[in-house]
Amino acid sequence: MSLPDHLKQLRRNARERYESLPWPTKTDEEWRRTDPSLIPSIPADWEPTSSGLKAGWDLPTQDLPSGVILTDLETAVQQFPELIEEYLFQSGTPEGLAKFVALHQALATQGLFCYIPDGVKVELPIKTWVEMVQSDGAVFPHLLLIVGQGSELTLIDERRPAADGTTPVLSDEMAEIFLKKGATLRYVHLQRWGPSVTELFIQRALLEQDAQLLNITIGLGGRLTKAEIETVLSGSGARSELLGILFGSGRQHFDFRTLQDHRAQRTFSDLLYKGALTDDAESIYAGLIRITKQAQKSDAYQANRTVLLSDGAKADSIPMLEIEADDVRCTHGVAVGPVDEEQLFYLMSRGLPHLEAEQLIVEGFFDQVFKRIPMEALREQLAAEVRHRLIHHG
Amino acid sequence: MGTPLLEITGLHVLVEGKEILKGISLSVEKGQVHALMGPNGSGKSTLSNTLMGHPKYQVTQGKILFQGEDLTALKTDARARGGIFLAFQYPTAIQGVSVANFIRTAMKARFGEKFQPKEFRKELKAAMASLGVDESFATRYVNDGFSGGEKKRHEILQMAMLKPLLAILDETDSGLDIDALRTVSEGINRLRGPSLGILLITHYQRLLNYIEPDVVHVLVDGRIVRSGGKELALELEAKGYAPYETAKTEQKETVPQ
Ligand SMILES: Nc1ncnc2c1ncn2[C@@H]1O[C@H](COP(=O)(O)OP(=O)(O)OP(=O)(O)O)[C@@H](O)[C@H]1O
Ligand SMILES: [Mg+2]
Repeated sequence: MSLPDHLKQLRRNARERYESLPWPTKTDEEWRRTDPSLIPSIPADWEPTSSGLKAGWDLPTQDLPSGVILTDLETAVQQFPELIEEYLFQSGTPEGLAKFVALHQALATQGLFCYIPDGVKVELPIKTWVEMVQSDGAVFPHLLLIVGQGSELTLIDERRPAADGTTPVLSDEMAEIFLKKGATLRYVHLQRWGPSVTELFIQRALLEQDAQLLNITIGLGGRLTKAEIETVLSGSGARSELLGILFGSGRQHFDFRTLQDHRAQRTFSDLLYKGALTDDAESIYAGLIRITKQAQKSDAYQANRTVLLSDGAKADSIPMLEIEADDVRCTHGVAVGPVDEEQLFYLMSRGLPHLEAEQLIVEGFFDQVFKRIPMEALREQLAAEVRHRLIHHG
Repeated sequence: MGTPLLEITGLHVLVEGKEILKGISLSVEKGQVHALMGPNGSGKSTLSNTLMGHPKYQVTQGKILFQGEDLTALKTDARARGGIFLAFQYPTAIQGVSVANFIRTAMKARFGEKFQPKEFRKELKAAMASLGVDESFATRYVNDGFSGGEKKRHEILQMAMLKPLLAILDETDSGLDIDALRTVSEGINRLRGPSLGILLITHYQRLLNYIEPDVVHVLVDGRIVRSGGKELALELEAKGYAPYETAKTEQKETVPQ
């Protein structure tokens, strides 16, 4: 496949950055709780096979409005070079994972591209997915999503496991989301990778004035996930609601970092992440709220709660604030703890076996997140997905 | 009379290392109502939690037989599926779990194959109506933000749906206003029958006007100090527990060590 010149240049630069940046060590703040030696090292001149991933989508029954583009990234690079040049790899880089962003940019060829022109409302949700095909080496899924001025979209984007998913794979993924003035996006990232996947997941969402984002991240699969989820509220009046659900079993390890980056006045963000862990699963959550001097009259909220279902499960939660403006409202709260024994006793006193009682409590615990999803069908679909995972773990 | 429904003999129970029940014996036949009265902290709820198999309550001596079978090795959920029901004095809230979902799940556990999912909605609606509970109740979260009275109605609603053989009602009357007391008592009375045994824990004689007990027991400091007919409740109402408390201290004085 021949790439446009600008993209070749981007890739060369990225490769150089990847080679010059040091491999992270356990003393880096970012990597204190996730051992960087667990990330497989990939040479910068590695050639990902063009069949490592399969991207696909289900269109709503009605036709997409004209001007809407939904295709795989390879096709988009050939057919829409101007849009690609304008947006691909342009959303910025989370500092902590700069090396892996560079690796991603050097090697990513596969993924999804979705463009909604100005003034278009896509009524029904669109479902997209990326499926693991190869069962070793590394894959570099990319999602590029642009919602034009005043446009509206709901996208449910799933990561599916390989049929035979036992050999270790690195997924170094990046999602770039651009919301133009007044755009509305509901985005669901449903991660169901297989148990042998080590995942780096970097998401950058850039919101212009009055844009609205509902960003739902559901982490169910993978052996190890290190995620950076960053929302930049760069235009006044932009609003972002960030919801997260994690469920880990076996020896799964999740390290989630979020950034609510308020850079303009009257911006709003509200984050709620909930996790449940069993067996020897672990999670780390670190959330930063940053409010710059320009972002007066902004509101930022953050809450993270994790329930531990076994003695071997571990969770750590670190809220952080960097506030330069003085006229803002901001709260954050974290809680980690076991299942309430009195709740368990109450349910068991009605005949529910221990495991079933626990499942019901966890479902109820997650309900607070689901309840904030406005579309009933979507809410039920996601709740069912999580319930299925709760029942079939181990 | 055959095997009693519930037969407790010489039961000693330890909670957090402290002995709370100090040798209780009690036998409930099918169809009977036994009232258990006693001062605060005497161990009434400890007995109900122990009967339900709460892991914190440790049986150190004695036996609990349910339909002739030893309960002590059975876990809470197995006891419940076998037909023991506890209406809690302080029911716990479970956020995010609706009443309907909760009761449906409990019924599936209790009745297994025999549970009729198609009939469930109708049955629940009828049971709610007869307890004077609004329909919106079904979609509320279990005990979350319930008033005292709503919590107690909810307990009896579950009892009606789960059809136990032995119901332990721990102060189901406390926190109820006069009208609610009547509705809830009527609800309980409707469930009475030849196969159901009830252990009714209460502080007030008033409840016993509605639900007539066959036997009244007085529990003081972890021991049943007296058992009698329903007139015993009237006597307690008049005189309080003072006579028994004194008896207890005297006993201690006369029997050193
Ligand atoms: N889970 C527990 N942890 C610690 N102490 C307990 C526990 N349960 C009961 N106790 C103690 O056991 C004693 C008896 O308590 P219990 O709740 O059985 O009394 P009660 O007769 O039900 O009182 P009330 O009429 O106030 O409901 C009290 O001293 C109480 O503090
Ligand atoms: Mg009590």
